[in-house]
Amino acid sequence: MTTATAPSPYRVTPRRVVRSEWHKLWSLRSTWVTLLSAGAVILGVGLLMGATYTSGGGDADIDTVVLVLFGTQLGQMCLAVLGILVTAGEYSSGMIRASLTVVPHRLPVLWAKAAVFTVVAYSSMFATALITFLAAQLFLHDTDKAAALTDPGVLGAIAGSAAAVTLLSLIALGLGATLRSVPGSTGAYIGGVLILPEVLGMLPYDAVDSALKYFPTQAAGVLGSATPLPDAATAGPALLALCLWAGAALGAGAVLLRRRDA
Amino acid sequence: MIRAYELTKRYGDTTVVHGLDFTVRPGTVTGFLGPNGAGKSTTMRMLLGLDAPTRGRSTIGGRAYTTHPAPLTEVGALLEARSVHPGRTAFNHLMALAHTHGIPRSRVEHVPDLAGLTGAAHKRIKGFSLGMGQRLGIAAALLGDPATLILDEPVNGLDPEGVLWIRNLLTSLAAEGRTVLVSSHLMSEMALTADHLVVIGRGRLLADTTVGDLIRTAGGASVRVVTPQADALRTLLAGPGVRITTGTADELTVHGTDSVHIGRTAAAHAIPLHELTPQTVSLEQAFMDLTQESVEYRTAAPLTGALV
Repeated sequence: MTTATAPSPYRVTPRRVVRSEWHKLWSLRSTWVTLLSAGAVILGVGLLMGATYTSGGGDADIDTVVLVLFGTQLGQMCLAVLGILVTAGEYSSGMIRASLTVVPHRLPVLWAKAAVFTVVAYSSMFATALITFLAAQLFLHDTDKAAALTDPGVLGAIAGSAAAVTLLSLIALGLGATLRSVPGSTGAYIGGVLILPEVLGMLPYDAVDSALKYFPTQAAGVLGSATPLPDAATAGPALLALCLWAGAALGAGAVLLRRRDA
Repeated sequence: MIRAYELTKRYGDTTVVHGLDFTVRPGTVTGFLGPNGAGKSTTMRMLLGLDAPTRGRSTIGGRAYTTHPAPLTEVGALLEARSVHPGRTAFNHLMALAHTHGIPRSRVEHVPDLAGLTGAAHKRIKGFSLGMGQRLGIAAALLGDPATLILDEPVNGLDPEGVLWIRNLLTSLAAEGRTVLVSSHLMSEMALTADHLVVIGRGRLLADTTVGDLIRTAGGASVRVVTPQADALRTLLAGPGVRITTGTADELTVHGTDSVHIGRTAAAHAIPLHELTPQTVSLEQAFMDLTQESVEYRTAAPLTGALV
């Protein structure tokens, strides 16, 4: 046995676990499908918005960046699904048993998944938002929605939109790690993150309304707008709130990953 | 070396594994036997840190599995339940596992050859047969050239050629000084591969023994003799340690000596023999006797008689 005599150069390190998760992500078709769908939806809706916009029409009061990145609401769902597949998908295939056998400390697997996903989601969404904004401006240059990247708040809103999509999808990834089921996590995400705030918003209590400003979808809306939104949180607290939501979902996933049998 | 100390797993009110204590030594193939539902898979999952024991602990190579800095080089495992994503190619699956340890691409390209998967490495796992899936699991287990192998029902789904291949593989891995623990619910399979046996039933240890000892405790080997002069032969063979039972008038079953001795004795005294047949108690029978009380799902009528 050669392994028993010579000290082995192999050992698990966080960096290597990240490398492994990177390989896992890109070796599945679902990654390409969800990312390309998200990009196509956002760009397609952006072009449609640009081409059909008329100055002074019904959309005149909407922020320019919000208008051209309207498709983000749909594209975001694709990334949430990808986030869920990254974690809960391993439970439905059984891959998690292999993953945790090779990394028995377990938590590095979740952190690596979250890190790889964050980089991929943010960079792809930033590129998509940038391209969509510039492409839509080809149609909008002679309207009252004409804007340049250098205009105040524009680049920030594009970056903020990508960050919002990434953080919302990280909540989905955390839900996937917590619930360990793709349909269960998708349901929880749609029900709890997307629909619940709408329902709560109908309640006639001011306290509920103030709290709702910091719910994930509302906070995400603030980050994607170049101009401050009425009755909404400001960008800083909104970003902080969204980070806390994502952190809470990941934290719940981490606690259960350590405690429960795989 | 694998050691289990009082390993216990309880799910609610059901105790699946009950205070298991056993040792698996290097250099031999150890069979982990038990009827379906005996707790073999649960025990293996506890050894690998996938399930936390309710009580007790286990070590592999002297330390708990979860504390190994490079588990793939210490233990190679094949789990019974499928643990791959069907959308990946075999190569990508192995590469993803290898990356966690910094195992180079050359090794990842080599292990499919060791497991008889040459040519299928770049196909998606979705299209694999059960046997190919098992071979992929073996390839993954061999990735880190581990000192210990834990394989849960590796012959499942393999064709006769594959069964022979795995038998030789296990024997050669053990001959290299590795610790090999293989589970099965088929005694006949284990009889051909394993030297040592850990037998469990309903989560309890029933035997921790060698194949030879198991046969001896189950009644040992005997020789069936048919001769017209049964009484004469019976007298001649009688001696310390020899036990002879009579069937029909001209039939003897002799325990405690072998067919060579019986044949010589008969020839020396000119006793004609019509039949001289060495008989081994089948391991299958020994296993059934041992686990009779602990099978979870039993057919209404005992089948044991029909199988002898």
